[in-house]
Amino acid sequence: MNGDGHRGLRMAYIVASIGGVGFFVLSVLLLAVWPGRVLEDETRRMSPQHPLGLTTSELRGREIYGREGCAYCHTQQIRYLQSDMARFGAPTLAWETRFDYPQLWGTRRIGPDLSREASTRSTDWQYAHLYSPRSVVPDSIMPAFATLFDSSPDRPRQEARDLVSYLETLGRAREIAGPEGDAHARNACNCPDEMSQMAFQSPVLNASPARARRSGPHPQLAANADAHRGEEIYVHNCQGCHGVHGQGDGPGAESLHPQPPNFAEEEFTLDQLSSTLWNGSVGTAMPAWRDLPVEDLAAVASVVRGFHAPQKEPAFPSSILDLGANVYKDHCAQCHGDQGAGDGSAISELDVLPTNFREERPSVTEALRVLRNGMEGTQMAPWSAKLSEAELSAVAYYIRGFFQPDAVRQ
Amino acid sequence: MSEPGSPRVETRLVYAHGLAAIITLLLAITFGLLAAMEMLFPDLGANHAWLSWGRLRYDHTQGIMLAWLGNAFFAFLYHAVPVLTGRPVTSRRLGEWIFGLWNFAVVLPGWVLVLAGFSQPLEWAEFPMVVDVFVVLALVLAIIQFLPPFFARGIENLYVSSWYIIGALVFTALSYPMGNFIPEIVPGARGAAFSGLWIHDAVGLYVTPLALAITYFVIPAASRRPIFSHFLSMLGFWLLFFVYPLNGTHHYIFSVIPMNAQIGAIAASTILGVDVIIVVTNLLLSLRGSGIFPRDIGLRYVAMSTILYLVVSIQGSVQAQMSVNQAVHFSDWVIGHSHLAMLGFATFAAAGGLIHAWQRIPHVRYNARMLSWSYWLLLAGVILMVTDLTAAGLVEAKIWQSAAPWLDSVRAAHIFWLIRAHSATLIFLGFFALLAGLTTGGVGAGLKEVEASVGLEPVKHIAPRMAAAAEA
Repeated sequence: MNGDGHRGLRMAYIVASIGGVGFFVLSVLLLAVWPGRVLEDETRRMSPQHPLGLTTSELRGREIYGREGCAYCHTQQIRYLQSDMARFGAPTLAWETRFDYPQLWGTRRIGPDLSREASTRSTDWQYAHLYSPRSVVPDSIMPAFATLFDSSPDRPRQEARDLVSYLETLGRAREIAGPEGDAHARNACNCPDEMSQMAFQSPVLNASPARARRSGPHPQLAANADAHRGEEIYVHNCQGCHGVHGQGDGPGAESLHPQPPNFAEEEFTLDQLSSTLWNGSVGTAMPAWRDLPVEDLAAVASVVRGFHAPQKEPAFPSSILDLGANVYKDHCAQCHGDQGAGDGSAISELDVLPTNFREERPSVTEALRVLRNGMEGTQMAPWSAKLSEAELSAVAYYIRGFFQPDAVRQ
Repeated sequence: MSEPGSPRVETRLVYAHGLAAIITLLLAITFGLLAAMEMLFPDLGANHAWLSWGRLRYDHTQGIMLAWLGNAFFAFLYHAVPVLTGRPVTSRRLGEWIFGLWNFAVVLPGWVLVLAGFSQPLEWAEFPMVVDVFVVLALVLAIIQFLPPFFARGIENLYVSSWYIIGALVFTALSYPMGNFIPEIVPGARGAAFSGLWIHDAVGLYVTPLALAITYFVIPAASRRPIFSHFLSMLGFWLLFFVYPLNGTHHYIFSVIPMNAQIGAIAASTILGVDVIIVVTNLLLSLRGSGIFPRDIGLRYVAMSTILYLVVSIQGSVQAQMSVNQAVHFSDWVIGHSHLAMLGFATFAAAGGLIHAWQRIPHVRYNARMLSWSYWLLLAGVILMVTDLTAAGLVEAKIWQSAAPWLDSVRAAHIFWLIRAHSATLIFLGFFALLAGLTTGGVGAGLKEVEASVGLEPVKHIAPRMAAAAEA
């Protein structure tokens, strides 16, 4: 090989080395550094002034979330797509991720996206679900994280508490920023294209169909429904908490506060079931089921009503009813309302809405049980210390009179 | 007895890395098999934190990438670098250090730490940062070990495999720290941009170039026919190193990352498909006369690797397109894709390279029958698994596009996950046969087979220096 050829080759290799390293540097500049600057700028412009960061406990929870590979089944990134927005809510903005060291976006969804998990589920549901996912979601394949608990979902260790407090931060900052936060972001965005405008086009921030709401329109479920289909829906979705026979004794029920009702002892109007199935029950573990077809909800409602065994109405002496009426007026009406409609003057103070006796009628036994023991997880206190046995029985009889069965309405 | 034709190959290091590769491979896929089982029996690991699904998955993918492919690549490099350059690697002693570091400071502690709950939740970067430090150290040592022979006596013309080896070692050392450290200090969406790059660089700058180095090496060495076109080889090489790193953002399409970066990455993904067609055309034309299932088992593995490379790359180009990506992203389709890449393309190349090098070590056992079994079991397993997961992904995508409850997609996937676990069993058996193929049978049987078929003379195109020495 002559010297010239050698030199040419050497030049070629030097050029090649520079070129090769250049390709790599180019890729980092084009696809990481430059987008990073754009995102940083976007964050600065669009972020609310003092977005809420994470507490120590929440940060510890984040570590656990990372360590257990939660991000490998649950994304934390709602894409700018109608299908994502319909299921999960508003697409993820850059500023929402500013405290994520490292990012937990994920590339696989076996379970749902968790970007907007904050205030979607109750804490007791989260504990029960982490401890034994199938106890509350019978068809889930999520691994159980019983090791974060002291052998019962009722006894979360610090790690479980940290993890659940972290879950409650997902989407929190944007929720707190409120509509004015989104308005600020939209103005600051100068969104150049249709796609980035989608960040503000979701009708709700959190579109989870499971998120319970206090009130809201709901479809009126049909009374005649496919019983077989209802059984199927019940087994796959409800049985975990409500139990095989609807007695509120499913494997998931134990650690829920309040516990699910005993359908054998409670009579519901169809309207009440329609509302609870569609809107969930705020403050309890009962999620909304807006993602199920209305026919399926109707079918499951008739299964629930079928658990109730009609009992013979005992005759009430009017003296007992009078006593019950007085006790009710003195002690119950503030919350449960003068006419038993669960609309007393105090309800804005309550985390869980009081029972609406016009729509739900407990058996005397059940009413007495709740009167004596209270209802854990709600503001319903035990009354046995304040009221005599006669008064307890009287009011247990009395409240049953508020009920307006479907037949009467029609 | 020194090995005929390639006297300077460090056969002990080929042997050590080869054995470590197969043993760690069996462990790595045990993690995978357990994870696949836990999707069917989710309470399997409920009472043991170290058996929980997330940790098993971390160890599965890191094990395949670093333990199995890493060791197999090292074994191949100890065979190939001396053959390609006609010179020994830098130092046997250094080789022992690299072996020790890789297996006892990276793989073993990495696995144990992940199971004990010390990890980082970044894809293809799950080993904790303390382990990453040793990976980078080992990569730097590997550069010192393998690159000087290429330049020891000045600059000369390099065969395409040499280019791929140099490129892989240099760019892995550059991109590994980027993917493993930067997202820890750059948050959220900005960090994700770096993660996206690394997810693709891990495959594109580490796995692919080394797998292609094997392919370009084994095809002419085992068939004794030159590569079809050196021009196409080099064109493919440069396009690959230009285009591969520009793909990263295609993991985050429809995200908040600027649209121009997404579109650029999608365009690069499309060009990548074209590049792979060039590379594979060249390789398949070089295989003319050997057939799709050559008799030589190392070559047979490599030939299938080439075909799977084409399939997985075209699939990759297609799924990067927005219309496809919006549906199949996040689904089992992608899990199928990554198995086609790592278990199909990369593993078939690594196994082919390992078998090729193994055949040429005197005094090791070699069982062609078991190796043939391993080939067919693995091929059946990978085809079943990828077909199954691709179908699962389509079903999931369909349900996600509808208004059906989320859990419907989990229920619908169950049957596919059941089939996947069965395909994993086939693969497990296949790898067990691979172990048997390299540890049972007659001593030196591989060498005898090579002598009887193609002979051991150095092949001029890939080992010009050694061919010249042999002639003289």
